[in-house]
Amino acid sequence: MRRMVVFLCLISCSCAGLFFVRCTSADDIADRARQLHFSSIVLDTHADTPQRLLTGTFDLGKRDAEGHVDIPRMREGGLNAQFFSIFITGKTLGPPAIQQALDQIDLVRQNIQQHGKDLALATTAEEIRRAHAQGQIAILMGIEGGHMIGNDIRMVRVYSALGVRYMTLAHFYNDEWADSSTDKPAHNGLTHFGKEVVREMNRQGMLVDISHVSDKAFYDALEVSKVPLIASHSSVRAISNHPRNMSDDMIKVLAAKGGVIQINYERNYLSEEYRTAFAAVAGDVSRMEEKFKKECGDDNVCIGKAEIRLEKELTGAGKLPHVSWEKIIEHIDHVVRLVGPDHVGLGSDFDGADMPDGLEDCSKLPKITEALLRKGYSEEDIRKILGGNILRVMEQSEKISKEMQAAQ
Amino acid sequence: MVRAILCTGAFVAASVLLAGAMKADGLSERARKLHFSCIVVDTHDDTTQRLLDSKFDLGTRSSAGSIDIPRMREGNIGAIFFSIWMPSKVTGPDAVNRAIVQIDAVREQVRKHPNDLVLATTAAEIRDAHKQGKIAALLGVEGGHMINSDLGVLRAYAALGVRYMTLTHSGNDEWADSSTDKAVHNGLTDFGREVVREMNRLGVMVDISHVSDKTFYDALETSKAPLIASHSSCRAICDAPRNMTDQMMKDLAVKGGVVQINYHVGFLSQEFRDREKANPELNKTISAEVTKRCADNQSCQLIEGDRITREYVEQGKLPRVEFSKIIEHIDHAVKVAGIDHVGLGSDFDGANMPYGMEDAAKLPKITEALLQKGYAEGDVKKILGENTLRVMTDVQLISRELNGEKQKQESRLQ
Ligand SMILES: [Zn+2]
Ligand SMILES: [Zn+2]
Repeated sequence: MRRMVVFLCLISCSCAGLFFVRCTSADDIADRARQLHFSSIVLDTHADTPQRLLTGTFDLGKRDAEGHVDIPRMREGGLNAQFFSIFITGKTLGPPAIQQALDQIDLVRQNIQQHGKDLALATTAEEIRRAHAQGQIAILMGIEGGHMIGNDIRMVRVYSALGVRYMTLAHFYNDEWADSSTDKPAHNGLTHFGKEVVREMNRQGMLVDISHVSDKAFYDALEVSKVPLIASHSSVRAISNHPRNMSDDMIKVLAAKGGVIQINYERNYLSEEYRTAFAAVAGDVSRMEEKFKKECGDDNVCIGKAEIRLEKELTGAGKLPHVSWEKIIEHIDHVVRLVGPDHVGLGSDFDGADMPDGLEDCSKLPKITEALLRKGYSEEDIRKILGGNILRVMEQSEKISKEMQAAQ
Repeated sequence: MVRAILCTGAFVAASVLLAGAMKADGLSERARKLHFSCIVVDTHDDTTQRLLDSKFDLGTRSSAGSIDIPRMREGNIGAIFFSIWMPSKVTGPDAVNRAIVQIDAVREQVRKHPNDLVLATTAAEIRDAHKQGKIAALLGVEGGHMINSDLGVLRAYAALGVRYMTLTHSGNDEWADSSTDKAVHNGLTDFGREVVREMNRLGVMVDISHVSDKTFYDALETSKAPLIASHSSCRAICDAPRNMTDQMMKDLAVKGGVVQINYHVGFLSQEFRDREKANPELNKTISAEVTKRCADNQSCQLIEGDRITREYVEQGKLPRVEFSKIIEHIDHAVKVAGIDHVGLGSDFDGANMPYGMEDAAKLPKITEALLQKGYAEGDVKKILGENTLRVMTDVQLISRELNGEKQKQESRLQ
């Protein structure tokens, strides 16, 4: 807060009552923001866009009226590196989970091939930089939920070989070896096997993602992992007290080991007011969700659309408050104050969550850069938040993976 | 006189023998030199089953089976296709899971032996490995049932390095008939043809070993790339449905394909096959004995099956088959299909080997036998590996064309 006051004062002092100059000054920031944003590597670590690809009718190359991510809007928002989430429900286990995950990986790879001019599959920081230099959007893959390895450590190697670069240890439900933050603990964090999985991920250069996992599983992973952890799409619990978010202590120890928390834009995770209001109508919502599931079957996009409609209804009826995109800035700023600018980044949860007002899709991303500039952040720090921090962790992971493989 | 004549005769015979031996020594020398300067490619080995046993190490000379790094070195195998295999009855996501795990097992062996092995997916990579003094390890999926009727899974295999797929194993799968099952699809189904086209696009060789004759012809018609028979022999010599007729070999050759001769005694020798057929109880006894020794351990079953068969041969219950039968098949295939269309697909670690070809270390004998038969060195080289390398290159070029890379290059040039 203090930083912002100083900054505003600096502007008004230098503008010294000249309306004309002041206008230019404001535009200067907008210009500087645009230039900064569009020259940076903007790396988002979590979008559920593969769920839309599964419909078979969605074309990544065309601007879509729905959803949050497609190539035209990525271009517009300067989003030039995106992790696509490989996700199937935590209720699917064993060989069927493996086959479905393989299919989704293939789907992403096929789409990248189909849009070879715009997209490039990337598996290293270097490949992201190369894609950026060539004007291509780097697409990366993350597996959202440890259940997709079918309780078989060898699948970590297979997914890594297919280009997957992070795995979220659990999703909404506990898997066979890690507790979820939204399920009853069954393993007291990570099992012995779960720790082995983390070590194998280190060896394979697959980032350990602790979004969705229980606090205990987070601390267990932190202890075991030789590579800094990431939270691919989690926000700050001090602002919205949701189990999916991270406490200040968790953020501190994550940062102490070099990790990064990638802020999630989901309204529930951004706003305490929204979260409590939502909890109050949760009974209605879950009843409605049962209904959606009946209507939509396995079609996650259909369910998503119905949820958005319901949310709009509830917001219109005053049962849910509006959440502004500026909440994202508040979360970023909280982390920066807590642990400095090296440990926070962007993990939108596009196409998998309800976006706040003003950040309806990825084309709106330049607003984040502008807001941070206005808040007095240095260009260097903003570049880190936009993508530099996660690139640093990827490079560390690549180095440690090489060392571990050579040591064998 | 009579005696003297006899004596002279004996003397003459002795000197001929001596000269023959000297000549043979010169030939052996030439054969060794030739063999160890060639890239020897073997397109089918079931060694992967042994890799699933955590105690088995490819780097250590084993007293059982036919393949390990020391013996591959001794026999100068330059490139080996490790077969990803499970019985046809394993289907659905389980088959996918098990195949993936086997692919991983091969990749891990390559990682564990970086000085000896390198994973290869193209002819160029095989040549590179050869230059570096390493053995190229490749992957082939033996049986279309392992894709669970899902082209996404096929693409995942290709992405993991798989470079051929045998359209079926011993049983029909969902989209292709096997040569050892009752025909239900009349060859390839429409989806089966789609699989073949996708394989062409991905640069995965279409392997027609194990498939029914009709499936072979359907694949030949559909495929834009030459086919291989990764481990099949000549039906004209041994009338097994797993072998190829002269006509099939001719048609395969016309489209640039290669038949890779299988060393299994039951596919090499009509006599062996007849005796087996005449005594069906024998196979049952062998199967029972194998099950007794191995339960459901596949690698044990394959190794012990070979061992027990040998025991039966020693006991005179089955005829002895010499390795020279391999040469007979190669020679027949060369006469029928042409010198550019024959190669080696041993079926080591998955079949019953003939006498004299017990393991990979014995491979130089093939080179020597072919030279002895009067084959030119260049022709021997083709059989040992160059024919397979040519098909791999062709398949890769066609894959690139199908992916439109050629168009892109052209538009760049303009
Ligand atoms: Zn999530
Ligand atoms: Zn076979």
